Amino acid sequence: MKRISKDNILLFLKEMNKKEKVFCPQSVDGRDLMFMPLEEGVYTGDIGKTTISAKTVLFPQTEEILSFTEKSISKTIDASKTLLFGIRPCEIKAIQFVDQFMTRDNFIDPHYQSRREKVTTIAIACHEPPSDTCFCVDAGGMPYLENGYDVQLFDAGDYYIALSGSEHGEEILANKYFEKGDEEDKERLEEIKNKALHSQKNSPGMRKAIEILRENKPDEAFWEGLADRCINCGGCVYVCPTCTCFNVYDLPSQGGHIRCRSWDACLHAGFTRETSGHNPRPTQGSRLARRHEHKLKFDIVNFKESGCVGCGRCSDTCPVGLGAIEIIQELNAL
Amino acid sequence: MTNSIQEFEEAEVFFVIGSNTTEQHPMIATRVIEAVRKKNAKLIVADPREIKLAKLATLHLKHRVGSDVALLNGLMHIILKEGWEAKDFIKARTENFEQLKGVVAKYAPEKVAEITGVDRDSLRKAAEIYAKSRRSMIVYAMGITQHIAGTDNVKSCANLAMLTGHVGHPSTGVNPLRGQNNVQGACDMGALPNVYSGYQPVTDPKAKEVFEKEWGVSALNGKAGLTLTEMIDGAETGDIKALYIMGENPLVSDPDARHVARALRKLDLLVVQDIFFTETGRLAHVVLPAASFAEKMGTYTNTERRVQLSRQAIPPLEGTLPDWKIICEVSSRAGYPMNYNSPIDILDEINRVTPSYAGITYRRLKHSWGLSWPCPNEAHPGTPFLHKDRFARGAGAFDAREYIPPAEPPDEEYPFTLITGRVGFQFHTGTMTRKTSILEREAPNAVLEMNPRDARRLKVIDGATVAVESRRGEVHLPVAVTSDIPETVVFSTFHYSEKNINELTVCAIDPVAKIPEFTCAVSIRRI
Repeated sequence: MKRISKDNILLFLKEMNKKEKVFCPQSVDGRDLMFMPLEEGVYTGDIGKTTISAKTVLFPQTEEILSFTEKSISKTIDASKTLLFGIRPCEIKAIQFVDQFMTRDNFIDPHYQSRREKVTTIAIACHEPPSDTCFCVDAGGMPYLENGYDVQLFDAGDYYIALSGSEHGEEILANKYFEKGDEEDKERLEEIKNKALHSQKNSPGMRKAIEILRENKPDEAFWEGLADRCINCGGCVYVCPTCTCFNVYDLPSQGGHIRCRSWDACLHAGFTRETSGHNPRPTQGSRLARRHEHKLKFDIVNFKESGCVGCGRCSDTCPVGLGAIEIIQELNAL
Repeated sequence: MTNSIQEFEEAEVFFVIGSNTTEQHPMIATRVIEAVRKKNAKLIVADPREIKLAKLATLHLKHRVGSDVALLNGLMHIILKEGWEAKDFIKARTENFEQLKGVVAKYAPEKVAEITGVDRDSLRKAAEIYAKSRRSMIVYAMGITQHIAGTDNVKSCANLAMLTGHVGHPSTGVNPLRGQNNVQGACDMGALPNVYSGYQPVTDPKAKEVFEKEWGVSALNGKAGLTLTEMIDGAETGDIKALYIMGENPLVSDPDARHVARALRKLDLLVVQDIFFTETGRLAHVVLPAASFAEKMGTYTNTERRVQLSRQAIPPLEGTLPDWKIICEVSSRAGYPMNYNSPIDILDEINRVTPSYAGITYRRLKHSWGLSWPCPNEAHPGTPFLHKDRFARGAGAFDAREYIPPAEPPDEEYPFTLITGRVGFQFHTGTMTRKTSILEREAPNAVLEMNPRDARRLKVIDGATVAVESRRGEVHLPVAVTSDIPETVVFSTFHYSEKNINELTVCAIDPVAKIPEFTCAVSIRRI
């Protein structure tokens, strides 16, 4: 167990940035908090909750996946050593979930995988919920991690208590900015964990919502009624740490073409429309149902856990109250 | 808009007429939706189609296409009859009230029901909900303005708001939603035939003097120019020899497209300036490639009159220039050197010659989320809502109008009414959105929305192609059968040049604003 003074964080990150690309929660001109390369934003020490999840680093909004000419095709792999600093426990859980999906049935996504292998994570436990919409505990998670991180930091006021969770984490803790903690840090750590567990007030009732979906209680009218206010912007999907659907398209490029992929959303009709014109999810209600059934029903069948980690970003972003929290509450009211 | 966007959150009643808000102004629609859901605001939608917002409406008035004046007069008739008008407001803030009374007296519910197809109960309910709340808002868009009675429609909306005192306070007013990010700014800057920036008339000698001094010229032409529809007509008759079109694709967006093409082909010189090569560009003698929003800096003025700074994100692509630079170059070569160093210089000039923009300076915009005009000096905070203590002209003048039927009503030969509009995933003639893969995937082609009963009568099924014919042209479109549209009315979009619905539409124009009606009579047959 070590500790690092908050005053030294920026110095530490700058040093790390010489060897690998450091991403951390930052904002520019008081705008949204985002995972940004260290040199592109202003680090203020505010870890908070980024508007868009850290998936932007592992699975960018738009990326080139291959390039081709009439004669040749070559895969584009663009991965470099990356440090994710200030990632929250729910997001680590989300990455673990996406890892399963991206390697499912030995069908490996090489672009994701190549980045994933080069990522180091320094997670910061939530000593209190970063926002009112956080519900990781209700979603079966925890405001701190038992595994899945390289380093985990706990906020102890002027400094962070640091734990390593991997060999690489041990190496990081050997950095000069990490000092040896005192004996009381052990107690303090337990205090922080305990307080963290009980400080989350938001509890929409995901477990019950899962049951209600399993029993097929919601009918078409339930979903269509909610969809009447959906403006089909796809915002809930784009900010979600476990949503990884994408669209593929080709663009002309110097001397040939490149194939790219961009985030897509299952709420858009064209996402499921077939070549014949038939759409198995023909209405906005049926698409809204599919999105939430996917997270709270089918993911449990496929991966033994729900695809919602309770970060609450969709509820923060949706302008008409159709995020996971509201949907869970509506399901509970059935 | 008389109000700011944020004020929508506190409105008690929305009267949405001629606006498909969810598809076309989604961020405004979300405020309406949330006010209805969370604060029990009441929503009256007046639209022939069951637009998405209508599904959340307290009341949906499916009035006949083009019967807006009759509907609005009918509501005012009921309000006056029941004594729901705002007597103090009328006395203190308005004039010409007797004229209004005289006209709307003729619009008794029986007559209005006959013209509009809206039953008397619904008329009364709508009048009561709108008049009796504390904060009612009228929301409209091109469904009000694009008619031969467009000016009458707008005046009738204003009459209704003044009659009930629903203007001049927060969260209550008349809110025309502007359809493009900077159409408000273009109008504010005098991109109109009759005004300089800030709506100073070109016929006003004082305004003329200000601009002559600023630009170092003498004898600026004090006569109003031509509107878009008049220019196209002028090109056809030979009165107009040259047209310089910027960021507009009239071959696809204007009514009676074949007429537009004929007219443009007769020009001695057609210049088209745009960020992508357009259908209109194909007819041009000179095409000037412009830089996109991301490649330049400047300001946009949005629907709530808010002027916002837009920063440059990337350098312009090779061979392109920002519009302002192109204009400066053309002007300089034509004999009037324009020497602005940057958009900041231009904004400085705007501040000097435009009283309503005088306080909207670069220095302030750089550190804010923008300022809403009128903003007469740098100490002024901007104006979220208009007409607080007085109207621009002093007293608000009632000007009640009589209903006139649409220019081209359906008849035996052309028994359907075609209305045109947009879908949320495409913008205007698609010059930008059709190049974006997911947007194009969501709405890849034009369809003709048709009521199931009409489809049955014509023996067509969903997806079947029909020939739609008007007095001006014929277009073949697949049918989308939907009960969201009333019988004998069909709807399609004008985003698709390969199925240009504007080959069918009619260029009948409003006599004042010269805005075209588009809506026309068509016949439909199976093919």
